[in-house]
Amino acid sequence: MRIALAFLAMVWPLSADLRTVLLPSKSPLITFRFVFLTGAADDPADKPGLASLTASMLARGGSAKMPYSQVVEAMFPMATSVGVHTDKEMTTFSADTHLDNLDAFYAIFRDMILEPGWRAEDLKRLREDGINNLRVTLRSNNEEELGKEVLYNAIYAGHPYGHHNLGSVTGLQKITLEDLKSFHRTRYTQANLILGLAGGYPASFLARVKKDFASLPPGKRDTVERPAPAAIDGFRLTMVEKQTRSVAVSLGFPIEVHRGHADFPAMLVTQSYFGQHRNSAGRLFDRMREKRGLNYGDYAYIEYFPSGMFVFEPAPNLARRQQIFQIWIRPLESPTAHFGIRLAMHELDRLVRMGMTEEEFQRTRDFLSKYVNLLTKTKRAELGYAIDSLYYGIPEYNKFVKDGLAKLSRDKVNTAIKKHLRVDNLHMVVIANDAGDWKKRLLGNAPSPMTYNSAKPEDILAEDKIVEKRRLPLKAENITIVPVEKIFE
Amino acid sequence: MKLITATMILALAAGAASEKRILPFDYEIHDFPNGLRLVTVPTPFPNVVALEIVVQTGSRNEIEPGKSGFAHFFEHMMFRGTREFPPEKFQAVLQQAGASNNASTSDDFTHYYTTFSKPDLETMLRMEADRFQNLDYPLPEFKTEALAVLGEYNKSIANPFQKLNEVMRATAFSKHTYQHTTIGFLKDIQDMPNQFDYSKEFFRRYYRPEYTTILVMGDIQPSQVKGWVEKYWGSWKRGDYKAPVPVEPPQDGPKSAHVDWPSPTLPIFSVAFHGPAFSDTEKDTAALDLILFLGFSENSPLYKKLVLEEQKVDILAGSNPDHIDPYLFSAFARVKKREDMDYVREQLLSTFAGFKDALVSVKKLDEVKRHLRYQFALGLDNSEAVARTLAYYIALRRTPETIEKLYESYARLTPEDLRAVARKYFQESSRTIVTLAPGGSR
Repeated sequence: MRIALAFLAMVWPLSADLRTVLLPSKSPLITFRFVFLTGAADDPADKPGLASLTASMLARGGSAKMPYSQVVEAMFPMATSVGVHTDKEMTTFSADTHLDNLDAFYAIFRDMILEPGWRAEDLKRLREDGINNLRVTLRSNNEEELGKEVLYNAIYAGHPYGHHNLGSVTGLQKITLEDLKSFHRTRYTQANLILGLAGGYPASFLARVKKDFASLPPGKRDTVERPAPAAIDGFRLTMVEKQTRSVAVSLGFPIEVHRGHADFPAMLVTQSYFGQHRNSAGRLFDRMREKRGLNYGDYAYIEYFPSGMFVFEPAPNLARRQQIFQIWIRPLESPTAHFGIRLAMHELDRLVRMGMTEEEFQRTRDFLSKYVNLLTKTKRAELGYAIDSLYYGIPEYNKFVKDGLAKLSRDKVNTAIKKHLRVDNLHMVVIANDAGDWKKRLLGNAPSPMTYNSAKPEDILAEDKIVEKRRLPLKAENITIVPVEKIFE
Repeated sequence: MKLITATMILALAAGAASEKRILPFDYEIHDFPNGLRLVTVPTPFPNVVALEIVVQTGSRNEIEPGKSGFAHFFEHMMFRGTREFPPEKFQAVLQQAGASNNASTSDDFTHYYTTFSKPDLETMLRMEADRFQNLDYPLPEFKTEALAVLGEYNKSIANPFQKLNEVMRATAFSKHTYQHTTIGFLKDIQDMPNQFDYSKEFFRRYYRPEYTTILVMGDIQPSQVKGWVEKYWGSWKRGDYKAPVPVEPPQDGPKSAHVDWPSPTLPIFSVAFHGPAFSDTEKDTAALDLILFLGFSENSPLYKKLVLEEQKVDILAGSNPDHIDPYLFSAFARVKKREDMDYVREQLLSTFAGFKDALVSVKKLDEVKRHLRYQFALGLDNSEAVARTLAYYIALRRTPETIEKLYESYARLTPEDLRAVARKYFQESSRTIVTLAPGGSR
């Protein structure tokens, strides 16, 4: 509950005027990010996927004036298109256009959002796309992303965050055109909208956009709290049975820290020290991949970070009221996977017990205070971060992080680690062949000694002796085996 | 800097749809006596510098049997340190700079890229010069890194498009090294720990100044950069190795293969024709690029028919990647129902045939030309992204000028040019079809 309360204190502009985030410049490249504060968390319980399918119908379904094929035809010579992403609390429509094409692009874009076409053939196509994305692209063809999404679903079971952003197969199958129109009418309101614009658009353009979007229903700002996710009791394991040669692992638990929380800078340092995304400086990466060659990489997160296998920097506009702490262990070879899981737990345990040294703290803080500049290297990203800052009620992100880092000490970080992180009461997801066999192996807690293809230093071998025997406090009743075909259904 | 800012914005504003130069900034090229080339590009984006070191070696250079994937593996080894900068120190310097740093390997080149704040530029050039000249890793670290490469292979094994690509290359090519993917065959990856001596040979052959171009882009002063490169890279010794990459003989008849995918997935139909090597002087590369958009983009009649109207296909795409040697022009469709595979096959093949028979309209051609220029302009919003684009062309011709030439070619192309190129390359005898589905082929 403490988590949600922080959001009630958000400072929104008091005027009835539409909220805007503007980064005007002289660049002829104009960036749009129109964010509606609604998303998968607002899906009705029996129709998960409604928010996402509504957004798809707008961005990829054409307007009342133009069928989608005409939208594509008109935008193609401008080399632009409308991107869409639905997360739990935010739905983002984004586009970049050249100043030459601003008026032509905007006229189409505006109609797509404000006067959608709601054609049955588009619903059929986009519903099938959603189902195929869940069943094929995610469930069958991407074990790493699957592991992460199953982890979120498990941690948030029974919570508004407890289903995939795209919904479920049965949810998508039930959604009607009337459902979509109703969601659009009630959730796409002025109160829920943040208009983000960057680049060299003319002054008169903004007035035009505001006037157009003032035709949306006024709506009311949400003050509904999200319930806290259920406490995790013990070491929970979801085994996903899938035909595969490797073993994908994700684990985590909810934390009360989000971008508006006082401990955010401390946890940002912790995340970076322990597992900076796609960076070889992280402790987990070093101990698992660099020293032992167990897999391709190992990282840690304090905020939702989808598509980590494709991108180096986190996408903006995935702001959430609640976050989890997560460890992503990239696919392990089956014979060394048990050891790899134990080593990840060993490292988490070490982090919680020992925190970081003064040198490690200083080094990580120095890194982050410069690295933060790279997160906003494009106007697109800068605009996205600025919108998130408005959402969280914090200053401009770079300043917020740099100021926060400046006030930190090693003790503050280590205190935050002890407060927010733990090695018990967590959820782990393992995707592997032979789930039944894995269950026995993990429950049995028999030693899983490592063998290497080359000589290793004494300290590594000595540590291995401890790690190979590390007990995972699993109980049979806390293990769920799910055939992959059942996921997202 | 201000002058450049103004120039750039004017160029961007005016240039996108016009026939003027596509690159909105100036660059300088400096060739050093040892064969190393430096390209400097000052941009108006403040504080940030993007450094790209492009080595013209990739999986194309994996000429010995059993060595597939080695160029990529070697890219990993480049992070295993030198005497002066062991991995921990290398890492500490990057971390202190708040740098984003990585590398990637493709068929024709390997590039190492770092983005950081401008005060760290000299340090970065010095540290990079050290590893390119003095790389020194022990056997145990070599063997450990080979396992990380196996991990990298594992991360994508669930992706059927990766397998499809592997089988397409292995089927379409009979001699050339393009017959294997950059990640390599699993059996070769599993054998990498035993290839320590070969790794030293690989370094000796290809990590040489005549194979290397350094691109420095962003908030920089070219003369200062040139001085630093001279200082730290000037004594690097030129090599003498040229890889005898096998020449692919003409294909003498259509080929096909089927991938029996072990888990549920939608069937995929893919077709490829042998195409030309990249050229910025001949029309072929440019004409095939335009055909790619006309035939297989979201704005193509085929996409409208199969994806939007009939809804038999959920993904349709094509590719015509630029390569040093002749490569493949390909298109694929992910089909919703297996019983539609034959129909989709017929639709794709008749689209290829259509380019040989009929002339495309001038209006449609102009739309693609506009699309390409705006697409390029819209990507020019930060130094790192621009550097990545330039690195791609530098890998082919060691100069950003090749982009200008390519866009000039686009501008000149006529419907007749496209038809001639289609007739030249879209021949049944040089066609390969690969299908993928759970279970055998029908």
